[in-house]
Amino acid sequence: MSLLTDDIRALIGSTRTYTAPEPLGAAAIRYFATAIGDDNPLRSDVRFARDHGYADVVAPPTLLCETNQYAALPRDEEGYAGHTWGVAVPGTRTVRGGNSYTFHRAVHPGDVVTATWRLDDVTERRTGTGAAMLVLTSRADYTNGDGELLASNEETTIFVEIAPGGGS
Amino acid sequence: MSDALAIPDLERELTLTDLVVYAGATWDWHRMHYDTDFARAKGMAAPVVDGQMLAALVAAQVESALGPQWRLSTLAFRFRNLVVAGSSIRSHVEVTRADDDVVEVVAEVHSTPPGGTEQVAMAPVTATLVRHR
Repeated sequence: MSLLTDDIRALIGSTRTYTAPEPLGAAAIRYFATAIGDDNPLRSDVRFARDHGYADVVAPPTLLCETNQYAALPRDEEGYAGHTWGVAVPGTRTVRGGNSYTFHRAVHPGDVVTATWRLDDVTERRTGTGAAMLVLTSRADYTNGDGELLASNEETTIFVEIAPGGGS
Repeated sequence: MSDALAIPDLERELTLTDLVVYAGATWDWHRMHYDTDFARAKGMAAPVVDGQMLAALVAAQVESALGPQWRLSTLAFRFRNLVVAGSSIRSHVEVTRADDDVVEVVAEVHSTPPGGTEQVAMAPVTATLVRHR
């Protein structure tokens, strides 16, 4: 049985755009740096950042691609408040495949982020043990209030068929 | 940059508190990351580390090693095995190119769950850093 339904296929090419209700903020940058143990002075010392050619403190590069701050979405039943395509595939579990980030420019506290997501492709594959997989490839581009491209994110999400007994 | 460049391994434990802090920092409140009952109902031994947290750790590891004159330009990674709260992780980075303006690295992140054996969490990881001007 194919996991790729007509409803899912019809989502290919869909886009969603979110603009943050506020600037990213110095506190958000320092919070994320604290969360990952990043004690780089660029994250919190404005003078240090300017001495090294930056206009302001610099966000850890992956923050922009990993935060849901800009989305301002309500929590779903699992507590998640980030972008999804709303794809549900019965009989499968969801696995993150991976990401490919491109960081075009430094991200600063004053940046008001717009994230534009696009569902690029949905393909069917098989695992090594023969279980069906549906692979979603999405892309997000992040710009600031001046329209400058900050970063891009290609993301792979996989729905893996759960075999009888719970394995796959 | 003609001198041999070596980036020290990153080793640390990821506690449940660490997962809570990261969830707050990223506005990612999915219950899988902190709710033990929820995680077990999904077949996991414990709450699951957000895989992108591992990527963030590698990013900090390489940028800190090279210093403030360098910034990440690209970072790509594939997830191999889920990592649960209480695991120890180790990120090993190899420098594959080191010019005056570009550094390229490859890395692997391994994890050892509580009472378990080491496995690959994330590989391959590839990154490019450019000199900030």
